[in-house]
Amino acid sequence: MVGAGLAGMRAAIEAARSGLDVAIVSKIYPVRSHSVAAQGGINAAMKATDSWEAHMFDTVKGSDYLGDQDAIEVMCRQAPSDILELEKMGAVFSRDSEGNIAQRPFGGAGYPRTCYLADRTGHGMLHVMYEQLLKHGVFIYDEWHVLKLVVEDGSARGLIAIELDTGKLHRLHSKSVIIATGGYGRVYRTTTNALSSTGDGMGLALDAGLALMDMEFVQFHPTVLARTGILMTEGARGEGGFLLNSKGERFMEKYAPKVKELASRDVVSRAEQTEIEEGRGVDGCVLLDLRHLGAEKIKSKLSQIRALAIDFAGVDPVTSPVPVKPGHHYSMGGIATDKDGRTAIPGLFTAGESACVSVHGANRLGGNSLLETIVFGRRAGTSASEYCKTTEAKPFPESALKDACHSVATILKREEGESIFAIKKGMNDAMEDFCGIFRNKDRLAKGYEKIKELRERYKKAALVDRSDYFNNELLHYLELGQMLDISECILLGAMNREESRGSHFRTDFPKRDDEKWLKHTLAFKENGEFRLDYRDVSVTKFKPEERKY
Amino acid sequence: MKIKFRIRRYNPHDSKAPEPYYQAYTVDVTEGMTVLEALLKISEEQDSTLSFRKSCRSAICGSCAMTVNGFARLTCNLQVLPEHSKMGEMTIEPLANHRPVKDLVVDMTPFWNKMEKVSPFLMPTEKTAQNAVTAEDEEVIDQSQRCIMCACCNAECNSLEIDERFTAPAALAKAWRFVGDVREGHGVKRLARLSEEHGMWDCVRCIHCTQYCPKGVAPLKQIERLRSAAMKAGILDNPGAKHVEAMADSVEKFGRLDEAAMTFKTLGFLKSLGKIPLGIRMELHGKMPHPYIVPQIERIEEVREIYKEIEKTAALKEKKKE
Ligand SMILES: Cc1cc2nc3c(=O)[nH]c(=O)nc-3n(C[C@H](O)[C@H](O)[C@H](O)COP(=O)(O)OP(=O)(O)OC[C@H]3O[C@@H](n4cnc5c(N)ncnc54)[C@H](O)[C@@H]3O)c2cc1C
Ligand code: SF4
Ligand code: SF4
Ligand code: FES
Repeated sequence: MVGAGLAGMRAAIEAARSGLDVAIVSKIYPVRSHSVAAQGGINAAMKATDSWEAHMFDTVKGSDYLGDQDAIEVMCRQAPSDILELEKMGAVFSRDSEGNIAQRPFGGAGYPRTCYLADRTGHGMLHVMYEQLLKHGVFIYDEWHVLKLVVEDGSARGLIAIELDTGKLHRLHSKSVIIATGGYGRVYRTTTNALSSTGDGMGLALDAGLALMDMEFVQFHPTVLARTGILMTEGARGEGGFLLNSKGERFMEKYAPKVKELASRDVVSRAEQTEIEEGRGVDGCVLLDLRHLGAEKIKSKLSQIRALAIDFAGVDPVTSPVPVKPGHHYSMGGIATDKDGRTAIPGLFTAGESACVSVHGANRLGGNSLLETIVFGRRAGTSASEYCKTTEAKPFPESALKDACHSVATILKREEGESIFAIKKGMNDAMEDFCGIFRNKDRLAKGYEKIKELRERYKKAALVDRSDYFNNELLHYLELGQMLDISECILLGAMNREESRGSHFRTDFPKRDDEKWLKHTLAFKENGEFRLDYRDVSVTKFKPEERKY
Repeated sequence: MKIKFRIRRYNPHDSKAPEPYYQAYTVDVTEGMTVLEALLKISEEQDSTLSFRKSCRSAICGSCAMTVNGFARLTCNLQVLPEHSKMGEMTIEPLANHRPVKDLVVDMTPFWNKMEKVSPFLMPTEKTAQNAVTAEDEEVIDQSQRCIMCACCNAECNSLEIDERFTAPAALAKAWRFVGDVREGHGVKRLARLSEEHGMWDCVRCIHCTQYCPKGVAPLKQIERLRSAAMKAGILDNPGAKHVEAMADSVEKFGRLDEAAMTFKTLGFLKSLGKIPLGIRMELHGKMPHPYIVPQIERIEEVREIYKEIEKTAALKEKKKE
């Protein structure tokens, strides 16, 4: 297992349950993984008055019809039993007055079906998963940073990782490898993602010859704090919060008359950006107003949100509205996989935010991503163990470790060169300014040129820290390389896709074009260059129609 | 505003400077900037060899705890300007009670091992698994569920400082998370194990853990919950529980603590001999009531009434449960 977030640990537990010898490799200790930050909740049709079909429809519509319906069906059907399984493991969800698991409304959903633990859902789930990991005796290699997936003659052989504590490179020989390394938020300047969300697994997969799918679809969350990018959960609007512009108007009434603040995220983010660009913002933000919810509700159901607003924006939501703006939040794209976590390379599997199944299509609904981690994490664990039980171990190529040592040594030896931080800043600015909420041909082309240039500079960058003991800078160098590759895939996909769908909005092509573009983008890396290809979308129950909220 | 940071540097593998030393950096601090942001700024703009842990930068992953101006703090939700104006300096050191590895990074292995020792996972029996967690049941374990495993509490724990084998507050709070869960099936077994040496009774109740926990876990409160659960379960064959029993006994008899008699009861006669030097020292300081002539307080009857009342309500509760 590469990655010890929710998806990785869930997969590891499933594989361990089937009797396999499992190890999990993570660049940070499991409970530090960014799943811990998820606030709002997790979707499942738990009640008799709700149904998996309704959940499926909301998800398909939310995805702007780009989600694969066969996979979405699997997720929505299995959601309730996976939630109950979590409870069995020890998770505690908030309860309603009748003692059932409580559910709150979320954006883009026609039914209040988001289960939660106050506003600390991810934290509650991740710690339970960690507990189960210990219970099942999974071996943990923590603070080991994976830098290569080893593939030979078309099948997985294991991986190479650097142990932070000693700087040593190790080979981990295995029959199968599951990649669950999370999102790439740090490609952008303003992001809700952790400092460790650098999309490593996607970069590693490209190098191993796998395709990244639908990378141009990048979710911008409507309510993040301006300077730090820290998230104010959608649950805040789910509990009844308003969005106001500088005139004090609830502007969402204009953009989504029916559901207002609870339209899907792409819609709300674009509305906010429009308000701000047309001069009705407040210092580049709009206002999230929770005051009418009352102190008691804020303190009981949104206590973390309150603490974050006070600590990071200096505002107490009980007494003042919180300035928020759209910011990068989620990666809909990822390593192309099927609904069992398989990739095009036998023995390589993937799940969670690093994967693209695709259940989110062009726009993810809040609460569906935690769900994705546990449903498809479990399924990938099952597939990998079936694969292991039916496959003989193949040798680990002799040269792989030597080659990896050689390339790390080359980086450490380079005496002169630019600092990686300048390059990283260049990338953040380019992606934020040229590949954000509103895109067009010119902006994207500028961004693309810039990333190309940064990739050249990256090859010649040098480190200040040459030691091999807890060398953070070396890891940041490796992460930056992956992020530059990912940026290029996002830009290429966005330049090519001449339509607007879900989170991908082209001011020069403002309409969805199903005839030409109801298809997935695939990006491959070949000899250092990128190539695009396309794949059909699975449409089973719901024919594409116009999306209105 | 320009602020000077004094940071403890340490790299045992640096042949030129293998010993710890302090290095100063000046940072241009803006309104709202956190200590973690300042450290990131230093590492990006001035010195990329500086090592520290970080991830979520929003006080939920537990990576970034360090000693700031002498106290264990999360650095990602601590703003520089107010802290600096309050303390008059900005000194950053690794967490106490943990072995420094490099610069601000400490060895967390003992912390994780302590966690593992309390079997930190639910172990229901077929019967207890059926118990549904109500809102009230959740309330009981809510604080203990908020832990982010940042180790601030262990860093400030007085007992851990003198006994590195002490289970320590973070793992004890975690233990309550399961003992207090209505679905748990092995609570009594857990309590018995936690009552062994280096366990819950070794806490000296300095309350630092509760004071320094950034997430309101209140570990000491969870330790107290464990202790009273253990006493209720009749796990009394250990010095800690005996001490509390003796205390209750003494209050019932005399309306006050008879510390000398308590020592006898707690440790047994022979062991208590070992404690005499402390007793003599206390005597010299006038802190010890005379061991043989313990005066009863006036109105001892009232104290005994209170005890009777407590027992009555307890019996009533038991009956109701049945
Ligand atoms: C602030 C915030 C709030 C959110 N709230 C919600 C919500 O309410 N509901 C919802 O459904 N979704 C929410 N999401 C989305 C959801 O939390 C994530 O998509 C999901 O948790 C991702 O889980 P994961 O297991 O795929 O990855 P992560 O939890 O990010 O884990 C990635 C793992 O990979 C490891 N790793 C990465 N690179 C390497 C490497 N090179 N070598 C070794 N290990 C590596 C890391 O150490 C880590 O263990 C939220 C996201 C954010 C940022
Ligand atoms: S109260 Fe007990 S556990 Fe808490 S810090 Fe003090 S000695 Fe340690
Ligand atoms: S109890 Fe508090 S201080 Fe201790 S590890 Fe948990 S969150 Fe940190
Ligand atoms: S960086 Fe996660 S708690 Fe501070």
